[in-house]
This record gives sequence, structure tokens and C-alpha cells, in this order.
Amino acid sequence: MNTELRTELLSHGATVVGIAGLHGYISGDIAHLETAVSIGVDRRLNEDTLSILMRLQKRTVRFLKSRGYRTLAIPPDSDRKKGTFVSKLYSLFNHKMAATSAGLGWIGKNGLLISPKYGPRLSLATVLTDAPLVSDTPTENSQCHDCNLCMTYCPSQAITGREWSRSIPFVELVRLTACRTHKETKRSTVGKPNCGLCINICPYGRRDDIGSR
Amino acid sequence: MVTEEKKKELLAKLRNAVIQYDEDSSKEAANDVLAVGMDANDAIFNGLVSGMEEVGRMFEAQEYFVPELLMCADALYAGLDILKPHVKQLDLGVRGSVVIGTVEGDVHDIGKNIVKMMFDVAGFTVYDLGRDVPLDKFVQEQMKTDSDLVCLSAMMTTTMTGMKKVIDDLRAKNPNVKIMIGGAPVSQDVASKYGADGYAKDATNALKDAINMITALKKMKDEVEAKKSK
Repeated sequence: MNTELRTELLSHGATVVGIAGLHGYISGDIAHLETAVSIGVDRRLNEDTLSILMRLQKRTVRFLKSRGYRTLAIPPDSDRKKGTFVSKLYSLFNHKMAATSAGLGWIGKNGLLISPKYGPRLSLATVLTDAPLVSDTPTENSQCHDCNLCMTYCPSQAITGREWSRSIPFVELVRLTACRTHKETKRSTVGKPNCGLCINICPYGRRDDIGSR
Repeated sequence: MVTEEKKKELLAKLRNAVIQYDEDSSKEAANDVLAVGMDANDAIFNGLVSGMEEVGRMFEAQEYFVPELLMCADALYAGLDILKPHVKQLDLGVRGSVVIGTVEGDVHDIGKNIVKMMFDVAGFTVYDLGRDVPLDKFVQEQMKTDSDLVCLSAMMTTTMTGMKKVIDDLRAKNPNVKIMIGGAPVSQDVASKYGADGYAKDATNALKDAINMITALKKMKDEVEAKKSK
């Protein structure tokens, strides 16, 4: 079933697909959904990324439901429908957590998921399920090492420069208020909070070779 | 005029859309209902609500859990939003308007929202005050809207005590208003002690009670219609 699902998603626009085994890590009302399908789409500044992700997510749900399994689709962060009943449960699970647990990458110094091949350029969606999918090996450690490009280039000095590791959670990687305050200043020009320099500068997955290691 | 067969097919589609928490097919079926000129009331009660009844049963049997329950509720609303403008007002002899909210200090509103949904379905006018509602607001809103029912919800023992104050204030201003309370820490004892008229233990039971209420309404509706046709 793993290969089948993976092939189906990859052939319909997913850049990466990973399966995370989360037995014992899920709490409360969703404790029975202990496997996560993590889907990443390379955004390349493409406006359609969101709709592709939503479509992929629906496809995953259909795939699993038609085989008789339960699902809970956690939509991409930027398109959470407010005011629906199920939106109360979105915050129960985190896309980046699913992605690192599925071995898609690690959390970089910029606080984003870094995929070895695509860098911080993936948009994520997650589907939780109780289907017996075989899980991938989780990523344990950051591969950022001595690279501090995002820290140097961050206009708001929000990046602390500490490294992520699964064994020490709750480390402050990014000072969120500093980051948010800076992004707010862009509202007057682009109409919404915006920045993204730490994404641009990351050497992982950069297409031109400037600054790559 | 719609054939019986088509009618059955659409009702089944609505029902299944709710059970399988499929928002898209719920919307599609609701639009079809309007397109073929079916009665919106019929579609809501015998389609959407009948699906929600089944969901309630599956929830009790632990086939469904909270995520599914919530997704089913979303699917029901998807259809209801389309059908609602076309509902003819039922003459049930009750003027249904209700003030509902989670009391001050409490932000847990899933249960409240599910109960609210059931009132929506039943055609009540719902004044939803939301969550963390200042206690005075309930009394003010009741006076302003002259609602006959006030529903209070609380998830925590610390906030539950606020209900007592609201009930006392409401009774002082308006002795006839009916008050229902609900939430995890509330019991029949608490309800009696606080002087509430009705009580629902938690989201599950609120759902069940609300469904019972709607089933009763459905019966009343059938009786009204039976009388009319005589």
C-alpha cells in the first residue's frame, strides 16, 4: 500500500511524500490516528502550490477512505478554514513534526523544514490515518552545522543560531515576535506580512550556485 | 415534479455525505435538491439530520471519534447553508429563539457549537455569543432579543460557578425564561442546585439530546402536516 500511495501522489504533483509512525506521540481525541502521511510540494514561488496541496490531500483521503481507514486531513497552514468545527483540531498536530518524523528533512536554524534536496522550499500538508502504512526513518539531527547564512541575512536578527535536534525539543530557534514585527512592516507594500529572506538564502536546494556549499 | 425515486436518491446522497464527512458531495446534493425543486425541509430532516443521527449512533458505538464527528458536522453545515434560505417556516407552536454561549473564563466551545448546530437545523433563531462571554452579556442579550431559551456551557469547574450567577440574574429579570446548561463538569445535581431547567452532560450527550429534540420536532412537524392534509 505504501508504494501505491506514494506513486499515486508523486504522479499527481507531490515533490516528496513521507510516512511517519507516531505511535504513542499522539494525544487525546486523535490518539487512534497514529500514522501521518506528510506531503511536500516544491513551491518555486508558484501561486498554485496551495491548490495542488489541497488536491493531493483530498486524493490521499480518498485513497485511504476507500480502503476502509480513518483519516484526518490537516490542511496547509495558509489555508486553514476558520470557523469550521474541525479547525479546532488543526492545532493538535504540526506539519513540520510530521515531516521530520517521516524523514523528509530537519528543522533548520531558520525554524523551517529543510529537505536535503529542496531546502526550505517545500509547502507541507499532513494527513493523519490509522492505516497500517510502513513508516520511514525519522530525521534525528540538524544538518545545518556551521552554516549561518540565514542568521546573517535575517533583517530582524530573529534567528538565534541554535541547532535543532529531535532529542532536545522546545529550543528557541527563531524569536517569533522579532520575525513577525519585521514581516508586518511589509504590509504597506505587498498588502500582507512578508519576508522570506531566510528561505532564499538557504544553500540547500538553491538553484543558482551562489552561496552554496 | 420530482419523482419518488430521484427524491430517495438525493436524500440518500445527503445522508451519506454527512456520514462519510464529504463536504463536496453534501454541497452538490444540496444544490441538486434545489435544482429539482424538492422541499428543503424534507432534505434537511430526512437527509442531513438522518445522517447525523447515524453519526450519533456510530459515535456512541465508538466507531467514530471526535475528529470524524466534527468533520460530519462540517459536512452537515455545508449542505445546510445552501438549503436554509429555502426553508419554509414551520408552524410548530413554539417560537424558537435561543441565546447560547460559553461562560466567562472558558474558551472550550466544541460542545456548544454542536448544540448550536442542532438548534440551527431545527430552525431556531440562534444568538451565538461565542466563548469567554462576560456573565452580564447573557442577561443583556436575553432581554434584548426576548429569547425563550438560554444555553450556557462550561468545560471547567472554575468557570462553571459563573453559571449560577447568570441563572440567578436571569430568573430575577425574567422568571419565565428556560435555561439549559452543559459541559464536562456539569451534572444533573449541579443543574438542579443551580436551578437550571435542562442539562446535557457533554458534547456526546448534548448531541444525543439535541437529536432527540429534533426527532420530537420532526414528529410534531409530521403531526401538523397530517392535520393539514385532513
